[in-house]
Amino acid sequence: MSQDFIASLLEFPPEKKLSNKEYDKRANDLIKHLNKQSDSAWVKHLNKGSILDLLNPSTNSLPYLYALVAQANNAGKDRARRDEVLNRSAVFFATFDPIQVRYAGSVFYDLLTWAFDAYPSLEITDCSPLTTALLRLDPTGATFTSSHLRLVRLCLHQGVPSQALPILDKNITAYPQTPPKNLPEDYICDDHAHSNAFLTLKSGFTLHPLKPEWLLEYYLLGAHVYLGQRNFPRARLFLEYLLLHPTSGAAASGLQTEAYKKWLLLGLLAQGKAYPLPHTHSQQVMKSVKAVSRPYEALVEDFEKRAWRKFQAEADVGQGIWQEDGNTSLVREAMDALLRYRVLDLQNTYAALPVSRVAAHLELPPDYVLNLLGSMLNQNYLSAHLTTTTSDPVLHFHGSSTSTSPEVNDSDSLEARSNRITSLIAAIRDADRRLQLTKEYMDVQKRGKRGGAGPDGDLADQMDLTYDPPIGGLGEDEEGEGVFGVGGSGGWQGTGEEDIMER
Amino acid sequence: MAYDGNLPAPTFDLDTYANNYQGALLPIRLAHISTHCPSLSRHALSSAIDAAKQGKDVQLYARLHDIADRLGFADLAKMDTAWASKQEEANRRELSRLEGELRGYKNNMIRESIRMGQDDLAAHQLSTGGPVPDPNDPHSQHTSGYNAAYQAYGKMRDYCTTPTHIASMTLRLIYTSLLQAVSSRQAGGSPTMYYNTAVSNAHRIRTIGVKEEEMDRLVPIMNASLGIAYLGNGSYRDAASYLLSTHQDYATLGAVHNTDFPRMVASGNDIAVYGGLCALATMDREQLLTRVLGGPFRFFLELEPHMRKAISLYTTAKYEACLNTLRHYHADWSLDVFLGPHVDLLFARIREKSITAYFSSFSQVSLSSLASTFPPAHTTSSDVQHAMELEALSMIQSGTLAARLDVVNGLLVAPRTEARAATHADAKAAADEVERTLLLRLQRVNAVVAGLEVPRGKGGGAQQAGW
Repeated sequence: MSQDFIASLLEFPPEKKLSNKEYDKRANDLIKHLNKQSDSAWVKHLNKGSILDLLNPSTNSLPYLYALVAQANNAGKDRARRDEVLNRSAVFFATFDPIQVRYAGSVFYDLLTWAFDAYPSLEITDCSPLTTALLRLDPTGATFTSSHLRLVRLCLHQGVPSQALPILDKNITAYPQTPPKNLPEDYICDDHAHSNAFLTLKSGFTLHPLKPEWLLEYYLLGAHVYLGQRNFPRARLFLEYLLLHPTSGAAASGLQTEAYKKWLLLGLLAQGKAYPLPHTHSQQVMKSVKAVSRPYEALVEDFEKRAWRKFQAEADVGQGIWQEDGNTSLVREAMDALLRYRVLDLQNTYAALPVSRVAAHLELPPDYVLNLLGSMLNQNYLSAHLTTTTSDPVLHFHGSSTSTSPEVNDSDSLEARSNRITSLIAAIRDADRRLQLTKEYMDVQKRGKRGGAGPDGDLADQMDLTYDPPIGGLGEDEEGEGVFGVGGSGGWQGTGEEDIMER
Repeated sequence: MAYDGNLPAPTFDLDTYANNYQGALLPIRLAHISTHCPSLSRHALSSAIDAAKQGKDVQLYARLHDIADRLGFADLAKMDTAWASKQEEANRRELSRLEGELRGYKNNMIRESIRMGQDDLAAHQLSTGGPVPDPNDPHSQHTSGYNAAYQAYGKMRDYCTTPTHIASMTLRLIYTSLLQAVSSRQAGGSPTMYYNTAVSNAHRIRTIGVKEEEMDRLVPIMNASLGIAYLGNGSYRDAASYLLSTHQDYATLGAVHNTDFPRMVASGNDIAVYGGLCALATMDREQLLTRVLGGPFRFFLELEPHMRKAISLYTTAKYEACLNTLRHYHADWSLDVFLGPHVDLLFARIREKSITAYFSSFSQVSLSSLASTFPPAHTTSSDVQHAMELEALSMIQSGTLAARLDVVNGLLVAPRTEARAATHADAKAAADEVERTLLLRLQRVNAVVAGLEVPRGKGGGAQQAGW
């Protein structure tokens, strides 16, 4: 192994700053150079040791990556060598230069895939290097790749679902696409606002073509993780992603059915009644999904009527069904929740009442109710207190507003919400731009022109995407208005979808 | 028919009362009184029989005797069979004459003659109570009794040539359906269908297209009959709204197209009572002040000063006095054919509203003081508080009373609303909703743009999560 070879690897990146154009050219040249090397060149031991020792993963990310992949492929079943590659990959994942790696998508994908296979076989339960890798490549985590799904699967398989949270917590705002033709191409080293500019189907970062069931599976697994974390709003969002996933015709995925069942139970747990169906659901899909979810709807009906005994009886009868669907524990939790909601319902009517009357309402023995109240108070399900001076303890409900201290943490504040929505708007604009670049959209536009809509075109097609982010620092009221402003501009999504539907 | 009436004597004089009305409804009204108020029972029934004998309706006459028989008035129960058979014979002859004439008109194809012939026939059916239903044929129900008159009037439609004709036909249809409603209730059936027919007919008046001055005479009747029909179906809010818009001319209208609504259906005084009670049961203080006391309806209220007094007592928050005034006239109103079945419901609503309004100015009220202001009806003094508690509970649960009950101390506690926190929570919820909706729709658009729909048919779509 010549010094020249090493030197050629170390040439890039040069010390002085390059223009993006120059950088792009040099990076592509390097890739060509690297691709020309045979596998053996990367594996050969130099005088001191591995070639990897000579390269700095943070500056010479590309050669390091090539070398690492070659060594990984060469490691075979040798435990020691695999461990070594694994350790080095962990370092690499934590320190690589994300701009350089954009040029070697398929190699990076190979390394990730190797790791996805290696972690379970080496029984490694710390999946954080992989999470770090994905987020280092794309800090927004907003473009879905097949690695997202592999990661979540891995975390669940290794029994560490919470390690998938950093990825799951990022909202997916785009799916990789083939970049449109006849467009002045940006350099992939540019500072892109949206990660889908470099995470395309051609980039090699993801398997392609993507399959819809991967998406569905990703969201369903994500919902499982959030259910386990008791993050109900997020679980709801993920399940609704599934319910609203577009389908051709009346086809519905089995995963959607699963999601619907869980979504029903989740509504009961989270707010004591089923969530309302999102407005944009497809009636055909819901029809076929509902047709196989009758037992769950029966449970929902009992729950909403607060018919505890009937719920209990039906939950017992349907044990086989819950077992088969893997929802046994959810049903059991719903049963507990039903008791809680029956107590909570009382606070709409009563300000204070003796425990004996609570027990009469619940049709349960007073001792049991006293225990139940105690545990509810301990777990903060109930804002109330018990006075036990008399022989019959009295339950005093507190005022209706449960949280008296506003703005407990940052992510809960109005400002955080407002910021999240502002960034969402940007993602929506981007989706809109991509929509306008599709062939189908152009066809519809052309047809519209030919139809004689005039130079102004159809006003409905001109989506109003103007949105002024709220002015900070003027107090919460301003933020409130900002929120409603977005509500208004959310309307474009409707028109956007209609365009899609028209085709 | 209900024979369980045990109402006390009303405040009005029966003969004066009877003088206010005419037509087929008068004997029905009197029969209603006789079956509900024991002290007036005999007097009312004999007046009813007299009134029926003036008319041509033998079936009604027979029904009244039936009532007399059940109430145990042996002397009244004895029928004048000679009159009955004579009248029946006369009715039959008249009917065949009218039918013959109508056939003749139809052969001549003169529309106006046919219309008038149809009108005469229908009027005859109405005044004689129509054909007797055949007990062996259930379908005959639809073509017998007042139904026959209604159908005969309906047949006029094809021969009406001017809006005025249509107006006159519509008025008759309304009158007939109200009559059907009342007599159906008296016979133990449900009047809902007939009230609905009355409503749809009355709404038609608006679009008939008669001249303006004629319209001015029709609209009060329309509003009054809509009010009565809605009242009959228990839609008190609609009833109030139409009754309140009834123009004061209604009381002095006289006969329009041979139908004298104030005398044949409901007098101005009745309108005042119906409208006042419905308004009191459904409107808030602001509306009561502007629309009822301050509006044109005041004219009607002058006819029934105690109704006006009750409303002004309510608006000045003297709920107890208001309820007492109303209770004083409970019997009078219960003896009305239209209002009777609804008086108790309306009273209960007014009571609930009063309690809600009374409570709105306090942050907490003890049940005992509530019970002393609004003494619960039909309870002994010992369990007054318990009855009050039950009433408060049912009001809270039905959502009429925004309060919570402190059972231990016997208090009703008003909900504390913290505007700031509530607004904050609302804004957060709205923001969350917006965020969630945007994400959901973005996902959908993205999936479509990227061609990631769940495919049609077998492959792929129905796969389960594989590991």
